[in-house]
Amino acid sequence: MTTTFLSEAAERLRLSVARIVSGERANGMGAAIAWRSGLFVTSAHVVTSPRVHVMTPDGRTVPGEVVARDVHRDVAIVRVPGARMPVVQTADPATLRPGSLVFAVGHPFGVVDAVSAGVFQAVGWLPSGLELNKERLRWVQADVRLGPGNSGGPLADSEGRVIGVSAMILAGLALAVPSTDVDEMLAGV
Amino acid sequence: MTETSLATLSNQLADAAAEAGAAIVAVHARPRMPSTGVHWQDGIVVTTDGTIRREEGITVTLPNGNSAKATLAGRDRGTDLAVLRIPAGSLPVAGLGDPASLRPGHLVLALARLGDDGPRVSFGTVSAVGGAWRCWKGGEIARRLQSNLTVYPGFGGGPLVDATGRVHGINSGGLSGAFATTIPVETVDRVVRQLLDRGYVARGWLGAAMQPVRFSEAAATQLGMGSDGGLIILSIEPGGPAATAGMLIGDVIVMLDRQPLDDINQLLRALSGDVVGKSLHFGVVRGGALVPVDVLIGERPRTRP
Repeated sequence: MTTTFLSEAAERLRLSVARIVSGERANGMGAAIAWRSGLFVTSAHVVTSPRVHVMTPDGRTVPGEVVARDVHRDVAIVRVPGARMPVVQTADPATLRPGSLVFAVGHPFGVVDAVSAGVFQAVGWLPSGLELNKERLRWVQADVRLGPGNSGGPLADSEGRVIGVSAMILAGLALAVPSTDVDEMLAGV
Repeated sequence: MTETSLATLSNQLADAAAEAGAAIVAVHARPRMPSTGVHWQDGIVVTTDGTIRREEGITVTLPNGNSAKATLAGRDRGTDLAVLRIPAGSLPVAGLGDPASLRPGHLVLALARLGDDGPRVSFGTVSAVGGAWRCWKGGEIARRLQSNLTVYPGFGGGPLVDATGRVHGINSGGLSGAFATTIPVETVDRVVRQLLDRGYVARGWLGAAMQPVRFSEAAATQLGMGSDGGLIILSIEPGGPAATAGMLIGDVIVMLDRQPLDDINQLLRALSGDVVGKSLHFGVVRGGALVPVDVLIGERPRTRP
């Protein structure tokens, strides 16, 4: 399938991205990705209590529960049986070349389902000189503008395949957990 | 349905990054974060002056991951450029583009190399282009070239690259603000030539202080001047080029190389070019008459920072 415009890829991907709130608080909203049937992926720092609600793109609010949470890797797996959302396609970020187009979907600053586009830089350890490198975690690193509310949302290639889960911004650089790390974690659920 | 797809554009950008990325190195001349350098000519790497924090023991990381020793050939604070020598044949030479062909809206990339992995890429569009300007560090830049892209840590000294992989200049972190500022190919070429010739950029020196003045319209018409203003000489450095040429306090410079001159920046621009040791032809108003004065331009005395 050939994608002609970013809007097409973004439109498809947005159908698989929900808003998620943790516990009773309606603030601190993040994004969650329909990864497999009934299973959503988000950032661990977005879901701080076991009970969550997701708001689907078609406007339903559905309860769910956190089934796995890795604070170190900043990924959480959430079971939402009633969400009925199409699941994403994923791709290994290691197949991308520096300069390839990527885009993020999320809710930065409360703007629902916002798309921001940019380019892929690298997947792997962070460059020396940037702090946060002590843990030697692998990150997808991209030149994409993210904001609070992008956390847990997808970073995708030009075809809309998810290569990472947006986690944070470091020195302006977008950092996402590689999709391959998420799949490893899902294998244990 | 056209064949142009988003994936095609994505691949073109990645190709451009790969091609230009083959000619850039990581420069290790400061603590912690390296900066980037462009292999401008065989054995010659250009980076930004602001990222050179030590002049000895500089190394570069090549695209193949190997390390090579580099020596500082020269640096110019005014244009924020520095030139390093590395062993010849270490990597391909950058393919240079013509910055005059860039227009606002063109897609561009900024590239960096931060270690032994692939090139780092930042993406945006050309925001503004324009004529020659003088940057706050004092250097004369041949054209304005600003882009809407992020100069991340370590991207200083890296190239601005078009969608076909051509290099249009060197990105300066120090000169960048809301927009990324690129020192264009013409200026890099000029500074590289001068730094390789003598290790520093010589700036022209007149040896006179002056300020702008206005004439009455009648006086301007009577003298047949192209404008109604000039630069009045307030002091003259004894033994300097202006003194040697016979300029006097009170002379009003109104012409430079047969063009009207009434703006100090116009004169500074002329002196920042390749003029040391050459004659500039001035027209000055002295005692109510227009007098020609040829000045052999000297080299501005250098004060070490």
